[in-house]
Amino acid sequence: MIDKATPSPTAIGRVVATELKPATPHQFHFWTATETTVGIGAIVKVQGAGSTEQGAARVVYGVVTDGFAYSDLATPLHDVVGAEGDPARAADAPTARQEIRYWTAAVLRQTPEEPLQPVPLGQVFLADDADVAQALRMDAFLYSATPTAIPIGLYTSAGREAPVYLDADFLIGPEAAHLNISGVSGLATKTSAVEFLLASIFAHFPPHKGRVAAVCFNVKGPDLCFLDQPGNLSDEDRRRYDRLVVPAQPFERVKLYAPLKADGVNLNTLRTHPDLVGDVEPLTWGLQEVVDYAEVLLNRDDIDAKADAFIDFLRDRVLGRTFDDGFGGTHRVQSFADLDRLFRSIFDGLEITAGGRSDTWRTHHIATMRKVRNRLLNISTRCKGLVTDDGPASDLPWTEFEDRTVYVIDIANVDPLGQDLVFARVVSKLREQLERRELGVDAVVVFVDELNKYAPGDGPDTYVKKMLLDISERGRYLGLVLFGAEQFRSQVHRRVVGNAGTQVFGRMDMDELATPGYQVLTPATKSKLATLPIGELMVRHPHFTQPIFVRFPKPPVLRGRDGVERFPPAADVPFDDAVVRQLVRLDRRIRPNQVKDLIADREQDDVRRALAATRRTRPDDPLAYFRKVLGSRVAAEVPPAAPREHRAVQPLNPISDEPY
Amino acid sequence: MRLAHLADLHLGFRQFDRQTPKGTNQREADIAEVFRRAVDDLLEQQPDLIVIAGDIFHSVRPTNAAILFFFRELHRLRTGLPASPIVAIAGEHDTPRSTETGTILRLYEALGVDLAIEEPRRIVYPKLDCGVLAVPHQALAQAERPALRPESGGPTLNVLVSHGVHGGLGEERGTMEYGGAQLSRELLAPEKWNYIALGHYHTAQSVATNAWYSGSLEYLPPNPWGQLQDEAAQRGTRGGRKGKLERTGKGYLLVDVKSARVSFRPITPVRRHLDLPPVQAAGLNAKELDAQIAERVSAAKIDDQIVRLLVWDVDRTVARDLDHAAIREYKARALNFHLDLRRPESQRGAGSVAGAGVRRQTLTETVRDFLGRRPLDAELNRESFVKLGVDYLESVAREESP
Repeated sequence: MIDKATPSPTAIGRVVATELKPATPHQFHFWTATETTVGIGAIVKVQGAGSTEQGAARVVYGVVTDGFAYSDLATPLHDVVGAEGDPARAADAPTARQEIRYWTAAVLRQTPEEPLQPVPLGQVFLADDADVAQALRMDAFLYSATPTAIPIGLYTSAGREAPVYLDADFLIGPEAAHLNISGVSGLATKTSAVEFLLASIFAHFPPHKGRVAAVCFNVKGPDLCFLDQPGNLSDEDRRRYDRLVVPAQPFERVKLYAPLKADGVNLNTLRTHPDLVGDVEPLTWGLQEVVDYAEVLLNRDDIDAKADAFIDFLRDRVLGRTFDDGFGGTHRVQSFADLDRLFRSIFDGLEITAGGRSDTWRTHHIATMRKVRNRLLNISTRCKGLVTDDGPASDLPWTEFEDRTVYVIDIANVDPLGQDLVFARVVSKLREQLERRELGVDAVVVFVDELNKYAPGDGPDTYVKKMLLDISERGRYLGLVLFGAEQFRSQVHRRVVGNAGTQVFGRMDMDELATPGYQVLTPATKSKLATLPIGELMVRHPHFTQPIFVRFPKPPVLRGRDGVERFPPAADVPFDDAVVRQLVRLDRRIRPNQVKDLIADREQDDVRRALAATRRTRPDDPLAYFRKVLGSRVAAEVPPAAPREHRAVQPLNPISDEPY
Repeated sequence: MRLAHLADLHLGFRQFDRQTPKGTNQREADIAEVFRRAVDDLLEQQPDLIVIAGDIFHSVRPTNAAILFFFRELHRLRTGLPASPIVAIAGEHDTPRSTETGTILRLYEALGVDLAIEEPRRIVYPKLDCGVLAVPHQALAQAERPALRPESGGPTLNVLVSHGVHGGLGEERGTMEYGGAQLSRELLAPEKWNYIALGHYHTAQSVATNAWYSGSLEYLPPNPWGQLQDEAAQRGTRGGRKGKLERTGKGYLLVDVKSARVSFRPITPVRRHLDLPPVQAAGLNAKELDAQIAERVSAAKIDDQIVRLLVWDVDRTVARDLDHAAIREYKARALNFHLDLRRPESQRGAGSVAGAGVRRQTLTETVRDFLGRRPLDAELNRESFVKLGVDYLESVAREESP
């Protein structure tokens, strides 16, 4: 909250301008006392003398971008001679040389804004809360009738502390959108910043803009697996939360989705501790879901229009329909097994029926078909657990997204191909549902880490990259907002980074800072960026004319590494125990032996299907429902091998006439 | 191993008011005759196993003639193919609403037919190395269904015989009967069976590569004309390729169980269903329309056939002035001649009030009018009945309005 009751300010410096270093409308210089709290990133206010035509004196706000210190020493040699070459004696000099602290500041804002004039040679003050709001043009969205301010952190330079807000219209859309965060890995700054910002968005997203949710892809380790568990916060962190009016508590509504392991019952996530695994929903897809995004599988190393055409043919003419293969076989393809059967039938047909004379089937070349077959069937093997051969898909609630809910999709342990598929399908479905206004929320923030991997500046044009570009360029109109994170901003596709309205920087590598993208920053700012502590960021936002350094509190959730220590993942259990565990989670009265008896001799696929149906339905009596879906057993009977009794039955002719 | 798959015999079904020289309903005799022809073909084909996937009779209490006829034909089959087991299940038409009614199907156990009437049965034929899970309608309609899966460690070949509605089959043309148990791909699991023989849908149709409805042996309700259109559509999509599965008309399926290769055995019908090319009557006067109808009729051999002629956009006055003597003659020639006159869109749904300038009824008025005329059981109060119907309609309208 902005504190407007600040004490009357004391000047800390004065603007100076020389012919060599004049004050301009965009930059000015000022000096301060040697002992000063001013540093790089400090926001200052210049109070002009006199008055403008409108009556008030010109006020200029600036941010310190560079600093200098020098004395009246003509050359370094004079000092050496004065100390007779002994550095120890230099300190014993009878008189101290006159020193100056001289600062360069970039103009953030001038009032009045017109006419734009050089900065007046006035007194310099440290900015207080209200000044910071003015300087960063936050007053427009902070004090309007429908405020759209989202706290991002605290400006804490020069011994002052003031909240800094982003404009939701420029963070979530529709004016601008998207956020990009870069920084070296291993400091947990990027993930923490996004977690805090999501908490802040959920707390401050303006009601008039509707409902908002977040979808986070957990692509490494347990990073995002414990967003609903409280983390350890220091008193200082709590004070910062109070200052920013964001509740210091974990996310109230988190839904975690993870694919199953190859066994089809154990979840492929690190959140498998018995106390927590109950909240994890399995994510499994069938053939239809995969074929709709088959391009993802094909464009990894070969973009092939012929293969695309064949997949289109499968999608439009084959899947879910009765289909004649032209060799006497009729197929109805609804699973990978059916698809394999169709392919075999076609290949056999070409080999046997056509005598190997033809290598095309319905204008599709056999090599193209073999390639598509390999790719499609390959994924059902490589991503077994995510992609099921048959059975109902377990999916995100595409029409029932809930307000202020985080949907975490844990694909950390999924094959890279499967990760691409999950990513492509989830984002496509989000876009599709948002276009129809049928998602259940008005805006979705999609958090994607490792943009260096998914949207690299060079390399092939993958489906995922195209999709990220599409979100970046069109998402803001739909309410689909990309929060992307990466280690090297310079190596992410320029349009993905460039379309992000808000740019956030954590600690940066000097090599990265030497790339052309950072030329606008002064050497001092770069130096500060290279040494930023954990919890401090540099922010660029459309309302801010210069980057601003802010501190944010530690996120109110349990960090992935801490989560794994506090809730160690459970070891995989045998199939029947895993089924028992999942049913007991639904109803603690269920006895393991009841379940084990029920599933003994049953095929695992059937048990999985029954389990998925029970989990999805959440009936009052889970065991009864599970038993019902599983179906009762029918005992086998063998009719007597002896001559059948019918031989003894006489024909009816002697006693009855032909009835018709 | 070859399996013959029949279903939906509907013996005893009666239609139209024509009788045979013996005094039985002509359609009932027709339906019996096609089954006799199917039995003739079965005796020729000599399958190793015969399955009848439900709806053997059209009603729980079939006519005596139907009962006797089925007995005679089964006896013929058992005598001709003594080594081929026959498995039959009860469909919803064979299943009594109350257990005290009992079922006539038990009679055929005397002939050694393996029947599943209420409970599912898993019958193993060691000589064929084949197990048949026979699941009647009743077993699927109850709350706790059997698991439709082969026996683990059982015979090499596994066949499922069942009766019910699969997915949205028949919705397009109204060719699926109501009242069937719901079946789904997950429930049937075709990949686990060598073959699945289904009954209930009256057009031969696959729901998976190895899961088929054999269809009925005759064109039966609901909407036999829709069944003809289904067949035409199937022919259209199959495109006349070499080696295609010919499925013109009605018949049964002969299946090589091991390879799940299915061939259709057409049964010559006793008489044809002729759906004459429709007439567009907009702008025609009665004489012109008479001429068009006569032209359609003369182009087809309608004698003793079941015929429909659909005429679109026939004004009420034109319909009244048609040559009804000629129409009576067509009706006398055909077993059944259905001149289906459809009014123009503007006159449809106007209920009992019609004519130029008359206000179209609202849906509520139409429903009230219909319920007011509908035959009711004597103990029902018509006023309350109509009020209840209108209340339902209005509550739905309220729920759907934004």
